[in-house]
Amino acid sequence: MKLLTTTARGSAAVLTGALLVGSLAACGGGSSQAAAKADTSSLTLAIDSDSASFGFDPLRVSAAQRQFFEGLYDSLMTLQPDGSAGPGLAKEFTYNADNTVLTLTLKDGVTFADGSKLDADLVKANLDRRSDPALSAYSAVAKGGAQEITSVDVVSPTQVALTFAKPQPGFEKNLASTTGMIVGKNGVTDTSTLAATPDGSGPYTLDPSTVKGNKYVLVKNDKSPDASKYAFKKVVFSVVLDPQARANALVSGQADVAMLTSNTVDFAKSKGVGVSQIGGTVNTMISFDKTGKTAPAFGQEKVRQAIQYAINRQALVDALHKGDIPAWNALPKDSAGFTKDLETKFAYSPEKAKSLLAEAGYPNGFEFTIIAGAQTQTDLQAVQKDLAAVGITMNVKMAASTDEAFAAVATTPLGYAPLNWDNPVGVMYGAILNGFTNVQKATDDQLSAATGELAAAKDDAAVKAAASKLNTRLVESGWMIPLYEALTNQGYNTKKVAQVKFAGTNAYPLLSSYTPAS
Amino acid sequence: MEVTMALFITKRLLMALATVLVVAVLAFLLVHAMPGSPGAVSLGAGASQEAIDEVNQRLGWNDPLFTQFFSWLGSAVQGDLGISLIDGRSVSADLASRLPVTASLAAGATVLSAVLGIALGVTAAVRGGLLDQVIGGFVGLLVALPAFWVGVIFVYLFAVQSSVFPATGYVPFEVSPQDWALSLALPVITLAVGGAAFIARQTRASMLEALQQEHIRTLRATATPTWKILYVHALRYASLPIVAGIALQFIGLFGGSVIAEQLFAMPGLGQAVQTSVSTHDAPAVQGVVVIATVVVVAVNLVLELATKFLDPKLRAS
Repeated sequence: MKLLTTTARGSAAVLTGALLVGSLAACGGGSSQAAAKADTSSLTLAIDSDSASFGFDPLRVSAAQRQFFEGLYDSLMTLQPDGSAGPGLAKEFTYNADNTVLTLTLKDGVTFADGSKLDADLVKANLDRRSDPALSAYSAVAKGGAQEITSVDVVSPTQVALTFAKPQPGFEKNLASTTGMIVGKNGVTDTSTLAATPDGSGPYTLDPSTVKGNKYVLVKNDKSPDASKYAFKKVVFSVVLDPQARANALVSGQADVAMLTSNTVDFAKSKGVGVSQIGGTVNTMISFDKTGKTAPAFGQEKVRQAIQYAINRQALVDALHKGDIPAWNALPKDSAGFTKDLETKFAYSPEKAKSLLAEAGYPNGFEFTIIAGAQTQTDLQAVQKDLAAVGITMNVKMAASTDEAFAAVATTPLGYAPLNWDNPVGVMYGAILNGFTNVQKATDDQLSAATGELAAAKDDAAVKAAASKLNTRLVESGWMIPLYEALTNQGYNTKKVAQVKFAGTNAYPLLSSYTPAS
Repeated sequence: MEVTMALFITKRLLMALATVLVVAVLAFLLVHAMPGSPGAVSLGAGASQEAIDEVNQRLGWNDPLFTQFFSWLGSAVQGDLGISLIDGRSVSADLASRLPVTASLAAGATVLSAVLGIALGVTAAVRGGLLDQVIGGFVGLLVALPAFWVGVIFVYLFAVQSSVFPATGYVPFEVSPQDWALSLALPVITLAVGGAAFIARQTRASMLEALQQEHIRTLRATATPTWKILYVHALRYASLPIVAGIALQFIGLFGGSVIAEQLFAMPGLGQAVQTSVSTHDAPAVQGVVVIATVVVVAVNLVLELATKFLDPKLRAS
C-alpha cells in the first residue's frame, strides 16, 4: 500500500513540477496588446512571405516587395500617400516632346551603405543591369520588354537621360517601385555581395540580429536625410506564413501590424485590433491560349465567354473566400475602369454558357487540363464543378515543380493568378499583351488601342474612359475570367499604431505611413 | 571487455558513416533527377538559354555525375555544403543557424514527453484499476490529437486569450535565456503531447512486466525503500524499450518539427526544407537531407550504446 501511495505522490510531483515550470515561465511575461505602450522605439510587421528570399537585391523582386525594400533603398521616384509618384533620388524629371526621353535630375548628398555617393554614373550602372534576366524589376524595361529602355546616358554628374523604344508618358510611376531603386557602387560592381548585405541609401539599415527567412530587423540609417520621415527607430519584418498564426501574433502582441487574410479579419476585430482594408487584387483565370494551339476550343471567343457565364462567383466566395468580393470586372472596384454593368451582363447563367458552347460548335463541351498550385487547388475544384455542369471537363493537375507551373503558360490554355492592378498600363504591357501570359502571341486590336489610350491619358476623364474600355474588353474577350477581388487587410494594434492608410490603390502601405497612435 | 567495446563502437561508427554516405548519394541523385537545372532555378522563368547554360557551366552541372558528387563530398567533409542557388549564401552557415532551433524543439519536446510519459506510464502500471483505465483513456485521446490542432488550441488558450506565452517567434538562448524558454514553451508542449502518450504506453507495458520479476518481489520482501524498487530496479529493468521509444520520439520530432515551425514562425530546419524544396534550391535540399541523416544516425548510435550499457547481457556479449 505504501508502495502505491509513494508512486502516486512521485508522479504527482513530476506533473506539479512541470506545471510549476510553466507557471514560473508565465510570470516572466509574454507581451500583451493591453500592456503595449504607444512608443516609437520599434514596429513589428507580420508579413506573409519572405521578401528577401532572393537576398537583398531590390531588382530581383517585383513591385509587391516594395514595402520591405523601401526601408533599405531609395527609389528614383517615391510613391506618395495619394498613390502618385513624387520626387525621390530624382528631385525633378522632364520628358522630351514625343515622350521618348525622360531626363532625371538627381538629388545631392546621398550616401550609400558602402560609402559611395549618388551620381548619374551610378544610376546608369544600375539601369544598365537590365539585360540580366534574373532582375524581375527590370523585365518590362529590358530589351524586347513592353517599356524597353534603349539607352541610359549620363548628361551631367547630376543628370541622366532614359531613352525608350517607344513613347512612355507616365513612366515615372514605374520608378516609384522596385524598378526605380538604386543600389550603391559596390553592390552594382559585385552583385553577389547583395545576397547577404544590402547596399542602399534608404532610411534604415539591416541590423545583424536579422534571421534570414524569419525576422528582418531594420534600424534607422543616420546617414539618410529622409530617415526623420519614418516614425519608428526600428522596424522588424516578421515572416509568418500561416494566416492564423499572423492573426494570433497581432492579437497577442508579438506584431504591431499584420497582413490578414479575409477569413481571419473577424477574429482579429473581435479581439479589439483595428483593420484597414483595400481592394485591388483580382484573382483571375487567364486565357493563356487565345489561338487554340493547346486546346482548339479556346481559340474561340464564344467559348471563353461561355466560361464567364458558367462560373458561380458568389457561391465560390461564400464557400471559400468569406469577406472577399465576387468579381465580374477584370479591374478592381476602386479603379477608374470599374464597370458595374459587367456584373449583370456576365451574371451566372449555365444556360447561356451551354448555348454559347453550342454556337461555337461544342454542344457536348470539351476537355482540357489546368495546372494548379497548393494555393489555387480548392478554387479550381470549385470552378471545375461549375464547368462540368455545362459540359466542360477541366482536369486539375497539381504542379509537380515550379518549372511545370511556369511552363503551363505554353502548355495549357487556362491559368489562374492574383493580379494587382495598381499600374494597369504596366500590367497590360508587361504581362497581358506582350508578357508571359501571351506566349502564343495573340492580338486584340481593341485591347491594344485601349491600353495605348490609357497610357496617353492626361486627365481623369480620359483615364476613366480608356480604363473602362480596357476593362470591358478584357472581360468580353475572355482574355480575363475574373473570379473574386481579394481585399488586402492590414490589422494593427490600435494602442500602438495609428490607423493604417494605403497609398492610393497600392496594396502595401508606405513604410513611412505607419505612425504611432496618439 | 574494453577491446570488445572498442570494436563494437568502431563497427557501429563505420556503419553510421556508410549510412550517411548512401543517403548523400541518394539525395544527390534525387536532386539531379528533379526537372530543371541550377541555372534555370537561379535565373528564373524569363532567362535566356544562353544565360542558363552559362550558370550551369560555372556550377559544373554539365560535368559527369561522378565528378560532381566527389567534388561536393570533398567540400562537405570540410563543412562546406555549397551555395544556395536562390540567394547565394552558404548552405552550411544557414543550416548551422537553424539547427539549434530544431534541436531545441526536438530535445525539449523529447524531454517533456519522456517525463510526462514515464510518470503516466509508471502510475498506470503501479496503481492499476480505475486510475490505469483513466490514464489509458487519456493517453488514447492524446495519441489521436493531431499536433497542428493541439498547437492551434494551445496558442488560442495561452497566447491569444491569456497572453501567458508568445504566439509566434523564437528568441535565441544567447539573446535571452528566459525569452528563449518562453518562445519554446508552446511549440514544445504541442510536439510533446503525442510523444508523451506514446512513451506512457511503452512505459506501462514494460513496467508491468518488470514488476512481475522475481528479483523485484525479493526486493519488496527485504524492505528495500519503495522509490528504490520502482525507480532504480524496476524502471532500469523496464528501461530498454522506453529508451528506444524516447530515441524514436526524438528522431520523429526532429523530422516533424516542420509543423511547429510553421505554426509558430520559427526559423528551423523544417522551415528551411519547406523553402528550399518550393524554390527548387538543390544544394539547400541536399544539405538539409544530409544534416538530418547525420542527426538520425547519431541518435541511433547513441541508442545502441545506451542499450548496451543498460542491458548486462548485451554488454557481456
